[in-house]
Amino acid sequence: MEPTIKDFEAAIAELESIVKKLEDGDLPLEASLQLYERGVHLSRFCHSRLEDAERRIEILNERGQLRPAPADLDTDEDADPHAR
Amino acid sequence: MEGELSNCRVWNTGHLYFTLKDDAAQVRGVMFRSALRLLRFTPKDGLRVVARGRVSVYDPKGEYQIICEHFEPEGLGARQLAFDQLKQRLTAEGLFDPRRKRALPVLPRKIGVVTSLDGAAVRDIIRVLRRRYANAHIVIRPARVQGEGAALEIAKAIGAIGRVAGVDVVIVGRGGGSIEDLWAFNEEVVARALAGCPVPTISAVGHETDITIADFVADLRAPTPSAAAEIVVARKDEVQARIDRLSQRLDSSARSRLHRLEARLRGLEARPGYGGAHGRVLMRGRHASELTVDLRRAIATSLEARARRHRALRAALDTLDLRHRLASVRARLLAATQALDTGVVRRRMRLEGRLGSTVARLESLSPLAVLGRGYAVCWNDERSAVLRDAARTSVGDSVRVTLQQGEIRCDVREIMTGHGTDY
Repeated sequence: MEPTIKDFEAAIAELESIVKKLEDGDLPLEASLQLYERGVHLSRFCHSRLEDAERRIEILNERGQLRPAPADLDTDEDADPHAR
Repeated sequence: MEGELSNCRVWNTGHLYFTLKDDAAQVRGVMFRSALRLLRFTPKDGLRVVARGRVSVYDPKGEYQIICEHFEPEGLGARQLAFDQLKQRLTAEGLFDPRRKRALPVLPRKIGVVTSLDGAAVRDIIRVLRRRYANAHIVIRPARVQGEGAALEIAKAIGAIGRVAGVDVVIVGRGGGSIEDLWAFNEEVVARALAGCPVPTISAVGHETDITIADFVADLRAPTPSAAAEIVVARKDEVQARIDRLSQRLDSSARSRLHRLEARLRGLEARPGYGGAHGRVLMRGRHASELTVDLRRAIATSLEARARRHRALRAALDTLDLRHRLASVRARLLAATQALDTGVVRRRMRLEGRLGSTVARLESLSPLAVLGRGYAVCWNDERSAVLRDAARTSVGDSVRVTLQQGEIRCDVREIMTGHGTDY
């Protein structure tokens, strides 16, 4: 029923087009409710993708293995305290 | 020996044969494959070079020739020449074609970085990424970025990191240095690796003014490593604000749809059939007598139609409720559209309340509701007429009595005339 979401870009683009459709057209009730639900779904997807990324630094070594980076690489001294 | 190259030809043995000439004289020359391979540039006709080598005699023809060990191009350095030649070649191949450039992901899942762990570049990149998008996931493939073998190492690193699951953009670069220090980024292997990288690439080599071959091949050139980090992710708060604005517009468009639903309900209630039916049935309730089978069916049908319409409206409201719950989960996440949501909830509850009372009113209109209160309807045996007067029956007749639940068939045993309330 619910088409899958390809990626973040696609989700934002679809959300934009849904909002436009809802704002512009006088759609039948059922259609507009479906669009609304899809829109809510997309906006949740976007938000979760924003939070999804794991704060992590890894080193890809010669053997193709991923290892945590030495702690001194990721220093917070300059980080903006407001950014999450 | 100094002069201009002409008649350059590489034989299938891999040796280069040429003529070196100036205004006054010319001499044949050869450069063996082993020496040719070490040249950074490709010898071409018209190129002025300083050639180093020794003189020998080409026995079959009895001619002198020089066996060259090295050419140094005049004017431009060998490096610049190599740069120009490679650039020309790759341009001809279409590697710099703007149409080849891929768009960067708006929100990368994992950001690949190819650079040296020793330089300042890697720290600059991490610092800027953390500031813009604190929970960014970074994968670094360390590579020596200068010196012998650096180009090959960078090329391999690009190949390896492009294949890490989730990495959807790669920054390749290093901090500032001399042109010699940056040279690895002018090598063909690096250019080929960038072109072959399965995900979009950003070159970030040296300072603003340093331009390398890598810059032409990469999908995007950043003037510095820090700038690459700026480019690779939009500020998280900006992206967030954009989604929030869209969510708000989504909600307000749904709210306006709700307004229209409300208006439709008002229109339905205002229809003349409504009050009219109410009054009519009240009358009929008073003399429950006119309750014929046909009328009962007709009323039931009309009631059912109305109930169906209300069920549909109610179902629509229920779906809205469901969707609204989804919306409010998101709203909690944002804590931004709270006031707005409260409005929606209140309006919806009011709407639902009104629907409920309308349905209740419709139910009270049903003649069957009268039976529910203890009244019964008495029919003749054929059930073709409702009895209103005891005098119309005779002792021994059968009559039928409709109760709220079921019907009774009775025999008349005694007849008393007058008003029912007298007994």
